Amino acid sequence: MSLIDWHEEYSVGIASVDHEHREMINLINAVYDNLSSNASKDQIEAFLGEIYTKISAHFALEEKIMKAKAYDEYEGHKEDHERLLDEIRDIMDFYETDDYFSDKDLADQLERWFSEHFRTRDARLHKHLG
Amino acid sequence: MLNWLRLSGRYLFEHLEAVFNVSFGDRYNPFYYLGSLAFFFFWIVAVSGLYLYAFFETSMLGAYSSIEYLTVDQWYLGGVFRSLHRYASDAMVITMGLHMLRELVMDRYRGVRWFSWFTGIPLIWLVYASGIGGYWLVWDQMAQYIAVMTSEWLDWLPIINEPMARNFINQASLSDRFFSLLAFLHIGIPLMLLLVMWIHIQRLSNPRTNPPRVLMVGSILAMLVLSLIKPAVSQAPANLDLSVSTIDIDWFYLFVYPLMEKTSAGTLWILASAISLFLALLPWMPPLLRKPAVVVNLDNCNGCERCYEDCPYSAITMEPRSDGLDFEKQAMVQDSMCISCGLCVGACPTATPFRRKTDLIPGIELPDHPLKALREAIIEQTATLEGDQRVLLMGCDYGVNLDKVALPGVVAIKLPCVAALPPSFLDFVISRKHADGVLLTGCHAGDCHERFGIEWLEQRLAGKRDPMLRKRVPRERIVTFWAGEEGGRKLLAEVSRFQQDLAVLGPYTPPQSDVRRRASGTEESA
Repeated sequence: MSLIDWHEEYSVGIASVDHEHREMINLINAVYDNLSSNASKDQIEAFLGEIYTKISAHFALEEKIMKAKAYDEYEGHKEDHERLLDEIRDIMDFYETDDYFSDKDLADQLERWFSEHFRTRDARLHKHLG
Repeated sequence: MLNWLRLSGRYLFEHLEAVFNVSFGDRYNPFYYLGSLAFFFFWIVAVSGLYLYAFFETSMLGAYSSIEYLTVDQWYLGGVFRSLHRYASDAMVITMGLHMLRELVMDRYRGVRWFSWFTGIPLIWLVYASGIGGYWLVWDQMAQYIAVMTSEWLDWLPIINEPMARNFINQASLSDRFFSLLAFLHIGIPLMLLLVMWIHIQRLSNPRTNPPRVLMVGSILAMLVLSLIKPAVSQAPANLDLSVSTIDIDWFYLFVYPLMEKTSAGTLWILASAISLFLALLPWMPPLLRKPAVVVNLDNCNGCERCYEDCPYSAITMEPRSDGLDFEKQAMVQDSMCISCGLCVGACPTATPFRRKTDLIPGIELPDHPLKALREAIIEQTATLEGDQRVLLMGCDYGVNLDKVALPGVVAIKLPCVAALPPSFLDFVISRKHADGVLLTGCHAGDCHERFGIEWLEQRLAGKRDPMLRKRVPRERIVTFWAGEEGGRKLLAEVSRFQQDLAVLGPYTPPQSDVRRRASGTEESA
């Protein structure tokens, strides 16, 4: 079972952005699968590092596209990106250092982290640029 | 030999600049803006020249008297413009000369930087041709001297059939049309100069053609005061029936003529050509500077353009995707333009040390400074540190020599440029507790060897430029210190002050965060 499923309505209509969104969903699902199969903490951490890298690059690309298209809510969207990057780093650090931060916490936080931005900010971006 | 000359020259400049740093500060030191100051002086000369041209009469008798009218009758405006025209021209020669010398001793003329150096050589000739032409137009005794000497110099060349000097045998032999030609040249040559100035900066991205406002205002005021205290005036009118004996000359522009008098026109030609040729060939004289250019790794490039935005030498272009992936563009490096500063690596969002699943290969990387090795060096070297004042010192080759820094609780790692360090490495060092604080050091604040290293880094740390240092990283654990090569002692003081601060801060604790609060373990108690 996967944590997040790709739906066609997620598409923002820009091939590169959609491609990376799919990659991101696959990565998060891979973490979830690994968690379910009791993978080592080290393996999970390696996946989190990968998510951080991919999402950093993805946001950079999305920001470039928004700027190029003079998207009206660029500032707010960008702020949200920065907040999300801080948050994924928090998730990484807590998972690594905090014994109370369980595997279930990690799965919940990741799902929440990904979906919130996706449902609000990116959905609006889709309406305006798609 | 060349190296020794360069190093001693650099030593002299560093000490001279240190004096200026006391009064100007290291962000507005005029020595850091010599090229842009020369540009600025060009514009003053151009604007004042336009005014003067409106009153100038292009005839043998009119030339002198029209300038006398401006200088004497209209001293408050025309006279001031004339003085500005002259003093700004002198200032341009001075700043241009110092600029050239400084780029030479600071080693910014070799390798891929050859283009700006090479195109600077014709600029010298054009500036001199413009200036000498200007003095000629005044048609006073100095102009007469210039006329005789210049035509003698040009006549040495076998390309002109009719000796030019024949024009200046006596008053009757000089026609008014010659003044029209001179005026035309005095506009045409500076226009050509401007064109070459433009070419000169083509390989730079965001070329700095305007000095900081405080330097512009300051130098204009200084020249205005000078214009009022010591206005530029003409000497006695030229008279070709009499020969000029002793005159004062503008040594900035006309020093070549006394030299020619002492030797010969041919000697001056040989000397000027040989020096120009020598200067033009300097970038290719050994030791050659060859550093490998950055390399794009397509697997890690989605075409976000951050490297392209931050490159100080326009070495990166964005091209259509070549590997069939769903991205529009990819970064491409023009090796012949890349100075290997690594500013692009510091800008790449995939250049993060937290990567573990795939190898740490960023979208763009310096082959001889792989990030993976940097991460390993950081982990290995900081592992030797103990206590709660552990400092990781990072800096470039153009700042304090880090090899000489040996302090308890401190390890030093060299970077090609401080801005080659992706900000997430700072997050990594602090949050993974490899050190309690990071001190970044390099060139003088206004004088980054790689042009924008310090500026970009400061903006990234302040959250004003991508990639931004994450807000979760405590700023008090990151310190920057810009002091150039000579700042050794001050750096030691800065490190010990930093260590005291770190002792007060105590060990790093992760930030309070929503993530923690939302985690099931604490949600109930919250």
